[in-house]
Amino acid sequence: MTLDTSVSRSGLGRVFRGQTAIDFYGKRKVGLILAIVAVVITFGSLLTQGLNLGLDFEGGDAWDIPASEIFGVDEASDVLRANDVSTTGARIQLRSSDTSDVVTVQVEVLSREQADAVTADFAEAAGVTVDEVSFSFTSSTWGAEITEKAIRALVIFLFVVAVFISLRFEWRMAVAAIAAMVNDVIVAVGVYSVFQFEVTPATVIAFLTILGYSLYDTIVVFDRVEENEGRFASTKTPYEDIVNISMNQVMVRSLLTSFSSILPVISLLLLGSGVLGAVALREFALALLVGMISGVYSSIFIATPLLAYLKAKAGKTSRRERLLGDDLRLAVMGAGVSGQIAQDSPRSDDHDDASGEHVDSEREPVAVGAPGQADRLLTHPPRPRKKKRR
Amino acid sequence: MKRRLWTSLIGVVLIVVITLGYNIATNNTPILGLDLQGGVSVILAPTESATADELTVIRDQIRSELERQGIAEPDVRVQGSTIVVDLPGVRDQQEALSAVDVSGVVELRPVLNPQSCQTGEVAPLPAGPVIGGATDASVPTDASVPTDASVPTDVTGSQPQGLRRPQAPTDTIPTDTIPTDTIPTDTIPTDTIPTDTIAPAPVNAPLPTQPAESGAVLLPTRDGSAECLGPVQGTGEVFERGSAEPTLDPAEGWGVSVGLRGGEGRDTWNNLASQCFSLAPTCPTQRLAIVLDSVVQSAPSVNEPNFTDSVSITGSFEQADADELASVLNRGAFPVEVEAQEARTVSPSAGSDSLRAAIIAGLLGLALVLVFLVAYYRWLALVIVGGITVWAGMVFSMASFVSGWTNYALSLAGVTGIIVAIGVTVDSYVVFFERIKDELRNGRTIKNAAPRSFKMTWRTIWSADVVSLIAAGILFSLSVGSVRGFALYLGLTTICDLLVCYFFTRPAVLLLARTKLMAKQETVLGMKVATA
Repeated sequence: MTLDTSVSRSGLGRVFRGQTAIDFYGKRKVGLILAIVAVVITFGSLLTQGLNLGLDFEGGDAWDIPASEIFGVDEASDVLRANDVSTTGARIQLRSSDTSDVVTVQVEVLSREQADAVTADFAEAAGVTVDEVSFSFTSSTWGAEITEKAIRALVIFLFVVAVFISLRFEWRMAVAAIAAMVNDVIVAVGVYSVFQFEVTPATVIAFLTILGYSLYDTIVVFDRVEENEGRFASTKTPYEDIVNISMNQVMVRSLLTSFSSILPVISLLLLGSGVLGAVALREFALALLVGMISGVYSSIFIATPLLAYLKAKAGKTSRRERLLGDDLRLAVMGAGVSGQIAQDSPRSDDHDDASGEHVDSEREPVAVGAPGQADRLLTHPPRPRKKKRR
Repeated sequence: MKRRLWTSLIGVVLIVVITLGYNIATNNTPILGLDLQGGVSVILAPTESATADELTVIRDQIRSELERQGIAEPDVRVQGSTIVVDLPGVRDQQEALSAVDVSGVVELRPVLNPQSCQTGEVAPLPAGPVIGGATDASVPTDASVPTDASVPTDVTGSQPQGLRRPQAPTDTIPTDTIPTDTIPTDTIPTDTIPTDTIAPAPVNAPLPTQPAESGAVLLPTRDGSAECLGPVQGTGEVFERGSAEPTLDPAEGWGVSVGLRGGEGRDTWNNLASQCFSLAPTCPTQRLAIVLDSVVQSAPSVNEPNFTDSVSITGSFEQADADELASVLNRGAFPVEVEAQEARTVSPSAGSDSLRAAIIAGLLGLALVLVFLVAYYRWLALVIVGGITVWAGMVFSMASFVSGWTNYALSLAGVTGIIVAIGVTVDSYVVFFERIKDELRNGRTIKNAAPRSFKMTWRTIWSADVVSLIAAGILFSLSVGSVRGFALYLGLTTICDLLVCYFFTRPAVLLLARTKLMAKQETVLGMKVATA
């Protein structure tokens, strides 16, 4: 029976073998500060420049220009570009009936002079008189009712989700998960505000997607925390340890998943909007990208430390300092299975192969510094708690 | 066990292949949104001049009425002095024109004695419903329950039985002995009637009759008879917008409860109601007709002079009648009437190549993800390739069916949402395989590790997906417009993820783990394992 239990020498190898020993809990302040910075930037930007609401929210100017062989959608966007009007948020459509065809151009509100200039240019490009180009104000399509109903639905959703997580896990996890989600949505909104991207109904959808993704990712992480909580229930392991162990165990999964979720979005961003030139996709994909990275980040650096903090508040005193370094690594490697801890734990792999020695020599000083801590955890391997819902 | 796994695996693949084949054979594809496919645009113009606020009100009402009809994600906006309605997924212009024919002004007219219209034909008195004041607008089912002692118990009789105010003369006063002190038509305080919201008397009424009294007109009812009606004294604007809903009361059967708009609306209504209640000459029959498009929708008798919050209309309604009347009252609250002027087909707004770009980019991204996963998990990752294929086929089929039923169009945002869902779907495999690797690392055989890992994975995936399903369910049922469309596709992809995970991935991996081939492998999922 040959087992691959030795600790990998390279950092990447350790990551993919689930042998990392990163002290996530100890780095919680870094994560928190980053989150606070993002939130402060977002609110600062929202207060100073707000959001650049698009046509569908604020209305704009609209032209109806008779379409002909020499004037179509492409020519209309050329005219806009010649007048320095952004075509990103513009909506240019060909509307045809039995009797006549018109090109309808809708853009964000322009100044009077600019609008007149564009009208004249449209007339010239279409080869008609200025009177034949109809210019009018167009209202928003996104009524207040849609916003109201969406907000009401969101509030109810958050409430129901909080209840669900409280029942399935516990209320502290609900608080932590929702806090992480709020952070992600704030970060995504911040990107839109800082870079003054135009907010369209599609953007709102992007924010909702991020919201869902963030919650999903946090719950996958919390599920592992909860599982380990049951596994270590008999050993009086401090919650910070459980959090650290769980984080290290799900790290490969988080990396792989984020990579596979973000790859298509990057492809959308670079290929779709860059090479293939679908501008409509660009800002949308960027918002998704930032939101999804933030979603993965917040699950690990915001939701989980917050959970540990809430748990510590609950009065569970830790009986010792949390595990660090190789002690943590051993716990990470040992607790990742259902059922009992494997008999040949990595502690006894010295005689197995060469790399075992290397790790041992590396581990020695730590073991001296904190004698017996990992030992206690492993010589009395935690028995899996039978949980009632399992 | 083994047979059940095979059944599940083959079953799900067969179902997906068959439904996909059916959809492709019948050319049943998801309806694409305005930004991707375009649609039909209808331009509506008000029949009389309307203010910007009124146009905004009409815009919102048209949109909610379209949503109620099941036409999803219409793009309704005010452009100049017209209203432009863009409908996705509507193929021809005639269909679009009939779909947006949702506006109309409900008129409130007192019912006069048939003689007033001076026609030989006397319309039979229909079994009129009655209007009773609702005590609590927030409890619609109780709205028609009389809490006041003066409400007669027999309110559903075929002959309308009026409810008398306590200080009113006794019920021996017949309708023709009109008290002289009641308010005649011309002394109605005009300020309680918003003159600008009264629609002109219909000119093309099907049964126009020369009025004997000023404004009296004979109009057809829905069941084919006719009613002699007085002049228009109020419009649907007296009601709270969108507040009408059918109610079912055990004692009274189906009815309709509608809220009164505070201030002007309530004043107008109460003015009219008290005229009818006191049998004023302007309303000698005690009945008040609700007219839409020159057809009497209902002519209930008024049983109270004063209404506070809401009005309940009960009578011999079937459920369909109550639904119909409620919808008439809701849509009739247009401040001005609008008419469709023309329909045009609209080109996609996002540019014709956006969808192509999104699909190409999405597929390339997906291919990269799969290549990466195969490189990482080696040949067990073939299960992922198969699973994603089944998932994609399932999403496509379900999207085709659902958009056929609900008319929800797939917009560019929806397409990208599905691309994001790829990540969530891949996550189920990653969680599963990482769990298997954990077990293998600790010395289990693959045969042993796979079912154990699935048990734990399923718990994780299930918990996380339920949150998505809650989001989809709540957003779909409570929101409107594109948020609703998003919820639909979120729910769809999540359900497909769960189905594929349980019915495809589980049997596929478990069966593979049992094979002799697998047991002989020295490396599984890219790592060395204990060999048996």
